[in-house]
Amino acid sequence: MDWIQFVLAPQIVNGLAIGVAVVLMALGLTIIFGLLDVINMAHGEFYAIGAYVAVALLGAGLTFWWALALTPLLMALIGYVTERSLIQRVFHSKDRHTLTLLLTFGIGIVLEDILKLVFGANPLRVEAPISGATEMLGLFFPNYRLFVMGLGALIIIAVWVLVFRTSLGAMVRAAAFDRQMTASLGVPVNRVYAATFAFGVALAGVSGVLLAPIYSVFPTMGRDFVLIAFSVVIIGGMGSIKGAVIAGLLLTQIQSISSLFISPVWGDPLLFGIMVLVLMWRPQGLFGRLGHA
Amino acid sequence: MHEVTSRSLGHPARALHWLAGLFFGLALVFAIVAWTVGDVFFFRLGTEALIFAGLALSVDLLLGRTGLLPLGQALFFGMGAYVSALVLKNWSSSFWIAIAVALVFSAITGLIGGLIAIRSKGVYFALISFGLAQVVSKIIFNTRELGASDGMIGVPVAQIAPGLESGQPAGFFLVVLSILFILYAGLAYLMETPFGRQLGAVRTNEQRLSFLGVDPWRTKLAAFVGAACIAGVSGALYPMLRGFVSPELMFFQVSGNAVINVIVGGTGTLIGPLYGSALLTVLRSVVGSYTAHHQIVIGILFILVVIVLPRGLIGLAAPALQERLGRREGAVRTPILHADHPQ
Repeated sequence: MDWIQFVLAPQIVNGLAIGVAVVLMALGLTIIFGLLDVINMAHGEFYAIGAYVAVALLGAGLTFWWALALTPLLMALIGYVTERSLIQRVFHSKDRHTLTLLLTFGIGIVLEDILKLVFGANPLRVEAPISGATEMLGLFFPNYRLFVMGLGALIIIAVWVLVFRTSLGAMVRAAAFDRQMTASLGVPVNRVYAATFAFGVALAGVSGVLLAPIYSVFPTMGRDFVLIAFSVVIIGGMGSIKGAVIAGLLLTQIQSISSLFISPVWGDPLLFGIMVLVLMWRPQGLFGRLGHA
Repeated sequence: MHEVTSRSLGHPARALHWLAGLFFGLALVFAIVAWTVGDVFFFRLGTEALIFAGLALSVDLLLGRTGLLPLGQALFFGMGAYVSALVLKNWSSSFWIAIAVALVFSAITGLIGGLIAIRSKGVYFALISFGLAQVVSKIIFNTRELGASDGMIGVPVAQIAPGLESGQPAGFFLVVLSILFILYAGLAYLMETPFGRQLGAVRTNEQRLSFLGVDPWRTKLAAFVGAACIAGVSGALYPMLRGFVSPELMFFQVSGNAVINVIVGGTGTLIGPLYGSALLTVLRSVVGSYTAHHQIVIGILFILVVIVLPRGLIGLAAPALQERLGRREGAVRTPILHADHPQ
């Protein structure tokens, strides 16, 4: 009993805080893929930029809350410009799967080096805006992690409502289902594409800001993190929102609980093994694609 | 349907052969000049470019022929390097034994990796190959017996033949050049065989291939194992040149650079990746001597090629060259087709 209370429970809560951030990343990836058919290889870099934008805003004297509010807006702008100026150019070619993947990979390389150029390669620390811990059931949980969990859950619900319960979301789903038909109904499909990409990038940025106080901020911080997000998206089903949420929470829990028993360095191989097993059983992932299910 | 005198999947074959001759000719000229001057640095750099050209060749076999984009080819490159380093350090100083053991290991890991990755198609394949490499590199990064994050240093020179060892800049350059030539010529020949056609057919229309009684899965697996072997042999040469191995050899940077070399050089041309590797290795070294941020330059170049020149440098040069070669003979026989150009 003690073990459950003092070892397992904190681990689950820690895992949940990371989990919602992973889900935010995975949601961005999966929405971008579901609508645009684009594997965003630069997603990890956008996550890192989110954290650095927050660092820069904090450095400019703003509070963490302002940084948290402004970063997604700036990231959306960056995403919108990236889509319109670069991805649009190869989007209509026959090999757009490969070309967009390569293009975003190139964008990632450039962005990462820009971060190194501007901020240096050394890790930076961000102070958590909420300190202290809350006592629950005889246990102490860091307040900031509870906050991350709460806000993350709110954002996830908001994304769900936006995609499935608003006319804006209907446009996105319609465009994912049948681009031509949607365009002929008067939806500005190209702008929907750019906006969706921007939205996914903004989610990666939020994830970066939220995790900045938990981890340190460095130019390659997105690399390992994006691998988890990719596994989540593959397992949950490329383009599935439900899949990203469920697989994201499940996988981070598995990773966090397994670290009690095995060395954390085996966490990634474990996730990957699960991914391979799921793919053997269901190559399309657990859930169907956006606009198709 | 359409007349194709060139037999290399829509690429003007004669122009590519000519460009291949030019590449290996230029490499020999470089060797003579560098040898006369008594240079070491550029020999080493050139050898490294050739080694990474081998890796790029293996990427092109998958990407250019079967349409599978490998984002983790460094896995097999690094595997070859580690195996070769271990053999040279602990077992034998023979170049041939190191290469042979590395080859066997890459074939086995290629088979295992292929069984995992080939199940998936398109972007899934790309991501799984990426994940495979990431996971194995992490494991090696954390294995103390393999030197963990430091890798292994002090790999002894390999004995290639009496009086010839990997420590001699000119000699080793020529050895690596010969190996690359054998790999290239072997692949170029293979592409003309029925098996080579099957590879192209996998990319064009996998379903139709199975209607013809060919198992596309087996074809792809064969290509994957073949690419793993080429990458492994190239990797095995690395510790002979540099005297060390490190987990970085398996990192995404290496896989990514190989893909960049292929795309910039020209996908599906086989010779393009060699040009791409030579060009970009030199560019990285030159820009790198001015600034630590050479990745920006390479990245922007890569983005430009993907957007403006998706066929790559050789993909651009070859058709024009083919026309010239044809005109010299008085007739242009080949309507050059790009309809099924690989990307």
